[in-house]
Amino acid sequence: MSTKEQRERIELLQGTLDLLILRTLLRGPVHGHAIAKAIEFNSDDVLQVEQGSLYPALHRLIKRKWISVEEGTSENNRRAKFYKLTAEGRRQLAAETSKWDKMAGAIARILRPAEQEGE
Amino acid sequence: MMKKRERMMKDLEEDIREHIETETQDNIARGMSPEEAHYAAIRKFGNVMRVEEDTRDVWSFIWLEQFWQDIRYAFRMLRKSRGFTAVAVLTLALAIGATTAIFSVVYGVLLQPLPYTDSNRIMSVFEVNSSGTWSRVADPNFDDFRDQSRSFQSIAKYHADIASVSGASEPTRTTVAAVSPGFLKVLGVQPILGRDFGAGDAKKGAGPTVLVSYGYWRQYLGSSRDLAQSHLKIDGGLFSIVGVLPAGFRFPADVDLWLPADLDGENPSRTSHNYSVVGRLRDGTTVQQANLDISAIARRIHDTSSEQGDYLLKDGIVVPLQDAITGKARSSLLLLLGAVGFLLLVACANVANLLLAQASVRERELAIRSALGAARGRLVRQYFTEAFLLALLGGSLGVLGAFWGLAGLVALAPENLPRLDSVSINIPVLVFALVLSTAVAAGLGAFIAARATSGELRKGLVEGGRGQASLQSSQRVGRVIVAAQIAITLVLVVGAGLFGRSLMKVLEVNPGFRVEKIVTMDVSLPWVDDPKAKAGQAIFFSNLIDRLKQIPGVREVGATSGLPLDGGLPDGMFLLMTQNEIPKTMDGFGPLLQQKERLGNADFCVATDGYFQVLGIPLIRGRIFNGRDGANSPHVAVISESLARERWPNQDPIGHTIEFGNMDGDLRLLTIVGIVGDTHEYGLDAPPRPTVYVNLFQRPHGAITLTMLSDADMRSVASAARGILQDLNPEMAAKFRTFSQVHSTSLGSRRFNVILIGFFGITALLLATAGVFGVMAYSVSRRTREIGVRVALGAAPGGILRMILGQGLRTIFIGVAIGITASLALTRTVQSLLFGVTATDPLTFGGVTLLLVGAALLACYIPARRATKVDPMVALRHE
Repeated sequence: MSTKEQRERIELLQGTLDLLILRTLLRGPVHGHAIAKAIEFNSDDVLQVEQGSLYPALHRLIKRKWISVEEGTSENNRRAKFYKLTAEGRRQLAAETSKWDKMAGAIARILRPAEQEGE
Repeated sequence: MMKKRERMMKDLEEDIREHIETETQDNIARGMSPEEAHYAAIRKFGNVMRVEEDTRDVWSFIWLEQFWQDIRYAFRMLRKSRGFTAVAVLTLALAIGATTAIFSVVYGVLLQPLPYTDSNRIMSVFEVNSSGTWSRVADPNFDDFRDQSRSFQSIAKYHADIASVSGASEPTRTTVAAVSPGFLKVLGVQPILGRDFGAGDAKKGAGPTVLVSYGYWRQYLGSSRDLAQSHLKIDGGLFSIVGVLPAGFRFPADVDLWLPADLDGENPSRTSHNYSVVGRLRDGTTVQQANLDISAIARRIHDTSSEQGDYLLKDGIVVPLQDAITGKARSSLLLLLGAVGFLLLVACANVANLLLAQASVRERELAIRSALGAARGRLVRQYFTEAFLLALLGGSLGVLGAFWGLAGLVALAPENLPRLDSVSINIPVLVFALVLSTAVAAGLGAFIAARATSGELRKGLVEGGRGQASLQSSQRVGRVIVAAQIAITLVLVVGAGLFGRSLMKVLEVNPGFRVEKIVTMDVSLPWVDDPKAKAGQAIFFSNLIDRLKQIPGVREVGATSGLPLDGGLPDGMFLLMTQNEIPKTMDGFGPLLQQKERLGNADFCVATDGYFQVLGIPLIRGRIFNGRDGANSPHVAVISESLARERWPNQDPIGHTIEFGNMDGDLRLLTIVGIVGDTHEYGLDAPPRPTVYVNLFQRPHGAITLTMLSDADMRSVASAARGILQDLNPEMAAKFRTFSQVHSTSLGSRRFNVILIGFFGITALLLATAGVFGVMAYSVSRRTREIGVRVALGAAPGGILRMILGQGLRTIFIGVAIGITASLALTRTVQSLLFGVTATDPLTFGGVTLLLVGAALLACYIPARRATKVDPMVALRHE
């Protein structure tokens, strides 16, 4: 592993992991390992989830009733917990996403005002 | 909730296992060896324990869990350093226990509401006389207050006295109150059995009735429910019992029987202050309104009364009954509370210093915890937890101690402390103890947490655990604490010194009478007006005295209406006049009273010749009573030296005649035949008062104290005297004391203050000395290496000693300087409680300062000595 590669990976901002989990679950029930994989894969490996930190986040979402958990069988035929978006979680995701967009846009405008004027 | 959480956690474990297993499979698929694959998976997952813990935190009351963790850890720490824990807990226990005990007295006496319905609506009403002091109320004035005021739902007068009571299981000397109708209504009390006085009971000539206290009913009336059968003979009169009052109701203090006051008839004088007055405020009326109301009536009386003079009221005042009862005790009790508060501060300072030393010992441990990622907040909480544990342990132990100590405290308390029976360790007191412990814990916790987690912490590790980093600064804080301790201790010990010297000064006062070897016997005959009955009483006392003289060991017997130091005498105005000037009617006295040059003012005491001999009151001039002063010979009086000096300056009072019949209803003139020495009747710390003594055999008096000068011990004299009394009058009860007991009781409140403040002072002194010793010893031990270097470089032991002592002295002197300044400011507030010393008494200040500096220096000397013994070779290898 080169140091360069390490530097390009970004640690998740506080709270964004919840959002990413909700987004990942939008496609249907997934088990824990698969969620971690999906986040890494979908972000072209830029976002590094310390896989363990996924679990406190999952339980936090369960506690808030945004996701639920059910028994299932994983792709290699093992018993596994599948996490599923609830209706409330779906609403939350929508809300959080639009909030995120607004914030990202705002930050971008602050960080690059000159470019925008120049163009 | 718990179940769900357990299930979630079990699922989590499974989930994590599954997760790592899947990752391992993936890795194997990527071509790793199984072992490599497993470790890579675990690496990628992170710390399983940590993840589990974080997840658990999502579900738990995290604060509570960590709290338990902190408590377990704190317990472990406290167990590990047992010496520290024991000293800290015991110090706190002592201080919190003492504070709780004193507070329980303050609460029981001053704060706890009186046990009556809406007790804050019950007021006392007083007359205010020309000198501004408050006095009881004369009958016609009470009638005006009652009839003209609009502030009270009901208002009543009462007056308590001791009477001989028989007719129950045994004759007793019982406190009996004469009360006017409405008395029970004012206090909001109803009989639990029988009835209150009705209109019929109040009339003169009605069949006399009496209410009894619950305790009396139980003890002497066998809890009989058939009241109609029971009669009591009170001072010779027969009373039928009409009601029993609820348990615990004894107002005024110590009363067991209540009679209608109107049986006594009205005294028409507006200057005979015979009754206390209580009233219950009307709803919506404030104390201020009641005051304006009463004051207006009082001033109207003052302006229109024919009895002008110093004894006529000038104004009236209304104060809450509770304040009236506890007023005198207030300053003394608050003083004690303040003193014990100081002790508490000194104790807390000691514990703070202990914690400080403990913290620097643990510096390395904390540095490691901090380096391992313990958040500062968590460490702060840890310190708080330990402080709480210490304070709560100390507090619990202290409350146990207070339970035990309170009995002693109550036994020690002066007899005149009101409401002592309501003092106990009750819920409010326990709450106080808890709040106090919590406050102590918060203070100590905040202090030590702020100190220990400040920026110096990390250096602890860098310094290789030698803990030198924060040494200097924590030493400085330690010295500041010690200086504060010395200052507070100085204030306390100065206070103790001032009160101690006051007590000594009081004891130095020549009372004007002998105290030792005197047995006293209180008896009472009923008040009578009839001259024949009076003569009978004179004969009774004469017989009694003759018989008492025959008791083996008894040398002399006297009798008096008022034993010195035992409650005082009535005082009044007398008239200088001659036989020819006696007016035909009472109205004739009016004009004479306007002639200022005829008036005199004195205490009125009934006594026998033997009384002066028994008490050793010296005859200055003239003679005392003798056998020729019979009932029908001219009535004579003996006056005290101070009266002679004040009323007859540059004259000889002997031979003058005075009219003092207003005191006992006998208008015969008194011829002054002798002058005797002054006595401190009202207490050794009160100046002697001018007194007129009249002869018991000429002017009989009901309530009498017999005084027996005896070489035999009190018990044998008392049992012989009791037999004689039984023989002469089986219905009469007597109370025996020694005059020394009376004397000692009169000093009770001073002694109470001296003992308690002295105890607090000495304890604070010991604590402060220990504090100085601790800080110095600690400083020396931490500087062993430095001292070793100095010695190795040639420092002489004397130099080392001076260096250490000098360091200690600076701290001590700063503390002493602050302490003296604070004492000068604070002792002024207690000036009124002192006697014979000023609040800035140089001897006390000097002595206390020397004592404190001496003790503190000694505490410095021992560690300083040790410093001079440091062997440089050992010291340099130290640690």
